[in-house]
Amino acid sequence: MAIDRFLEPKASSWMANEGENTDIAMSTRIRLARNLSEFKFPYAFTEDEALKVDKAISSVLLDKGKDLDQEFTHIDIHEVSSLHRELLVEKHLISPHLASGVHSGSVMLSKNEELSIMINEEDHLRIQSLQAGFHLQEAYKIANQLDSLLEENLQYAFHEKFGYLTSCPTNTGTGMRASVMLHLPALTMSQQITRIIPAISRLGMVVRGIYGEGSEALGNVYQISNQLTLGKSEYEILQDLQNMTEQIIEQERRAREAILSNSPLKLEDRIYRSLGVLTYSRLLTTEEAAKCLSDVRLGIDLKLIEKIDMSILNELMVFMQPAFLQHYSDRPLSPNERDIARAKLFRERLKEEYKINGDKEGEDSI
Amino acid sequence: MICNQCGERPASVLVKQKRNGQLTERHLCHVCAAENHNLNLAFEQDPLAIHQLLSNWFPVQSPTVSPVQKEISVCPSCGFTFNNFLKLGKFGCATCYETFESNLEEIFKRLHNGNKEHTGKIPASYGSTLKIKKEIEELRKQLKNSIEAEEFEEAAKLRDQIRELNKELEGSANRGD
Repeated sequence: MAIDRFLEPKASSWMANEGENTDIAMSTRIRLARNLSEFKFPYAFTEDEALKVDKAISSVLLDKGKDLDQEFTHIDIHEVSSLHRELLVEKHLISPHLASGVHSGSVMLSKNEELSIMINEEDHLRIQSLQAGFHLQEAYKIANQLDSLLEENLQYAFHEKFGYLTSCPTNTGTGMRASVMLHLPALTMSQQITRIIPAISRLGMVVRGIYGEGSEALGNVYQISNQLTLGKSEYEILQDLQNMTEQIIEQERRAREAILSNSPLKLEDRIYRSLGVLTYSRLLTTEEAAKCLSDVRLGIDLKLIEKIDMSILNELMVFMQPAFLQHYSDRPLSPNERDIARAKLFRERLKEEYKINGDKEGEDSI
Repeated sequence: MICNQCGERPASVLVKQKRNGQLTERHLCHVCAAENHNLNLAFEQDPLAIHQLLSNWFPVQSPTVSPVQKEISVCPSCGFTFNNFLKLGKFGCATCYETFESNLEEIFKRLHNGNKEHTGKIPASYGSTLKIKKEIEELRKQLKNSIEAEEFEEAAKLRDQIRELNKELEGSANRGD
């Protein structure tokens, strides 16, 4: 089946770990929301219109995708099992809204999984461009090329004054949401993050952790994105986000240095305890795994841990989630069974890693 | 304390969630807590519950509005009323933007830090039709002036130019670009 390739427990290219600032900025995403002018938007359209929209957009991409050196796979959401939809959500390739399958919707995925085009999500068209690390301009360039190709062949809903017309008024204008995922353990430990979050929201940008605004994020991973889409050009939005993200990265580095010079032994102890948990435990909840992953990541960044490659942590973040665990195990798992499967996943992946990096001690003792 | 969700296991996690200024606290056991919070930092989550904001700003009108007002606030293309829009926080179609235009400025100003006009990318095709429309407007003004000045030869030339541009405009609309 066409979808199979995207379900393999292999890292997508946006989970790689290369380039400047990738220790703190994990991934970058650009999303463009577009609608076709001749059809009602997804909150009001009929099933028949939904099918026509799907056909119109997917045929352009299947036909012209090669102009961009991209080959797309078209996956109809209604033809995919709910577990498989969940896997695509966990990989960030589709949104939970599309996975819920309210209308005829589909997703077009590029081979390298860097482009995902959702059809009939909240808007007719959601172009997503994902890049590893911190690459706002590059991610926008890829999304924009695809957008320009589509607009040559389709009539977008556009208004002289309001710009690109979207279902939600929070997206009207550029229809663009740009975001960067940041790993901020030191700003979280020192609680500086609670001051940074409200300050940023006054500047038309928003920082969120997993538990919603203001509270501690699972695995110390935060997402910073633009909130304004109207009245600023794409270029200005990206520039503002770029500057803000660079400042946060700088602050995180300073906070790390401060912790390292104030209480190096405590920090080292915490990092190695977490590595121990990931390497040896038999029951591992999502929370504990996320916390330990964050510590080990920090340990690698600070060169305290050298026998583990950062990219496997990015993969494990994705593959430790419920749908992927059930996919490996090939059956539904209760929460307790998932904790067992998660612990096993970590033990096996880390054992492989120790083997590659010639750590005999670590390998034997697992 | 027993878990608020399953009511079986002892609660070990306190989940505090702040949304739109409302703080909710739930005591969960480790199993339910893990269930509730998978690692998915949902990219597409609305940064704010838009419909709640909208209905705070624009109290939903009572159904007994005057017939005239009612007519204006129903979108002719998708049938959405302004109240539908407020409750859902979403537009039904592109025409909604024109139907509700008089109310939108206020909404956009609040949502986008005082901004109310798009300054970003313009689709290439709209770019050219926009340009033609602006040219036609300009020529019409000149035409009016020359008629008033009784320069009929000049007026005829302008009229022909406007016709040409209108043809071009129709042509591009028919080509669907």
